[in-house]
Amino acid sequence: MTADRDVTAAVPEREGTRQHFDETLEQIKQDLVTMGSLVLENVRRAGDAMVESRLDLVEVVREVDDQVDQLYLEAEKLTFETLARQQPVAGDLRFLVAATRILYELERSGDLAYNCVKMLARVDGFPQHPLITPLLEASVTASCKVFAQGIDALADLVPDAGAKLDAADDEVDHMVSELFTVVGRHSFEVGLEVAIALSRVGRFLERIADHAVNIGEHVTYTVTAALPGEGHNATADEDGG
Amino acid sequence: MNDTTETLSVDTADMPPDPTLTAAPTAMKNARETPEEAGPGVIETKNMDVFYGDFKAVADVSMNFAFNEISALIGPSGCGKSTVLRSLNRMNDLIPTARTDGEVLYHGANIYAPGVDPVEIRRRIGMVFQKPNPFPKSIFDNIAWGAKINGFKGSKADMKDLVEGALRQAALWDEVKDKLNESGLSLSGGQQQRLCIARAVATQPDVILMDEPCSALDPIATLRIEELMLELKENYSIIIVTHNMQQAARVSDRTAFFNVELDTKGQRTGYLVEFSPTDQLFTSPKEKATEDYITGRFG
Ligand SMILES: Nc1ncnc2c1ncn2[C@@H]1O[C@H](COP(=O)(O)OP(=O)(O)OP(=O)(O)O)[C@@H](O)[C@H]1O
Ligand SMILES: [Mg+2]
Repeated sequence: MTADRDVTAAVPEREGTRQHFDETLEQIKQDLVTMGSLVLENVRRAGDAMVESRLDLVEVVREVDDQVDQLYLEAEKLTFETLARQQPVAGDLRFLVAATRILYELERSGDLAYNCVKMLARVDGFPQHPLITPLLEASVTASCKVFAQGIDALADLVPDAGAKLDAADDEVDHMVSELFTVVGRHSFEVGLEVAIALSRVGRFLERIADHAVNIGEHVTYTVTAALPGEGHNATADEDGG
Repeated sequence: MNDTTETLSVDTADMPPDPTLTAAPTAMKNARETPEEAGPGVIETKNMDVFYGDFKAVADVSMNFAFNEISALIGPSGCGKSTVLRSLNRMNDLIPTARTDGEVLYHGANIYAPGVDPVEIRRRIGMVFQKPNPFPKSIFDNIAWGAKINGFKGSKADMKDLVEGALRQAALWDEVKDKLNESGLSLSGGQQQRLCIARAVATQPDVILMDEPCSALDPIATLRIEELMLELKENYSIIIVTHNMQQAARVSDRTAFFNVELDTKGQRTGYLVEFSPTDQLFTSPKEKATEDYITGRFG
């Protein structure tokens, strides 16, 4: 192809040839973003519950996660139907395949938010601790920040989302490893059971951010066709529960 | 180049030798390399233009068709797919206004060079058309007749072997072995198309060109032809024109996308946009024009 060729001149105006299909793809993307926003909100809510030891929020987190699961089923159905009926190729195919994976990452993240408050409920609330509580809050904030970035990358289809999210995730890993250290050091003050619960919560927050990194990789794949590299992480087995 | 057709027993010894075509290299079987890496393919076009009178139908087509692969040509109506296909075996010679410039190399030799016999070219590069077109003759004669006009001089028994071999290769033998004397026209559309493939195979080509071979067939007959193509590529190189992108995606190893553009004189001239491995073309095409076409979005 040379630059002086005017391809569009020869091709009849056919904009809107696949308007219905385009609307469906947009719908699926909207569903993903909506679901992602709900999950993000719920991770924040779970964070508040843990930091302020508000057991009344446990039930709310559970209810919102049920909504997330409902959205998951609907979006998954629409995605599979579209794959079957439209026989998508190229960018459309990549988006729909990525959508099935992003759905999975979001659903797992939602479960992890609920797992956090389950830990909280199991030990009847976390005691306030001058060193642990601020670190827990910082870990929640860091994890939410990465997750929010993942949802934004999805909404805007950011080409290098995978690399960006991967870099942002380091902050979460750092915070959570601090949390582990401090919880270990002060476990005798909060009690062993609470210390174990806090460690698990730290792990969950780390996994939530990992899922966000994976979302970034799926977005990169959608836009650029580059497959996720080595850094691909957060599998179901490791999520725990 | 006859290593491919053991089931046939045609004596080619008394075929007129073609000095420009005798230096045929043996087929390279590594189908996964790109044509560039694999060296010269079975057919190569170099800067090929095809005209009908003054009208340039396709411009500057340079392609390398690999051995033992299925190559698919796709693109909007009028972009010149059939024109390109017919130029590959000099079928365009039959259209008085048609002219091909540039080179078409078959086993490295230019088929448009002076002294090359187009009939011999068409024997080696067979063609199957859109509408099944058996002769109004018996199933047996449909194959025997083509072989005879292409110089077959074997015994009656040899001819029976040839017919059976060709029908087996076209996956039709079991369905017709008890009615070889019935008319070819008595067969279903899908069977007729396989009969035409058997007829093409019987002249011992090593390339088979197919121009929308399934567009007149129902989905099941279509899938049978596609299965057959996948079997045939063991022994032949296949180039298929299809409007069915799923078909190109299902059967081909490499896909060429042609588009059409207006030139300065207002003529609509076809050109090659992209010739890529099929898996790549349908998951991440190189050119935006390809993406727009295969995803059904223009403009
Ligand atoms: N015999 C002919 N004489 C003059 N012009 C021709 C002839 N055959 C084809 N053309 C023209 O050449 C151009 C390419 O035609 P061709 O049939 O190769 O396109 P195609 O891609 O096979 O289209 P389709 O998908 O409709 O079969 C068209 O503009 C067509 O009108
Ligand atoms: Mg055609």
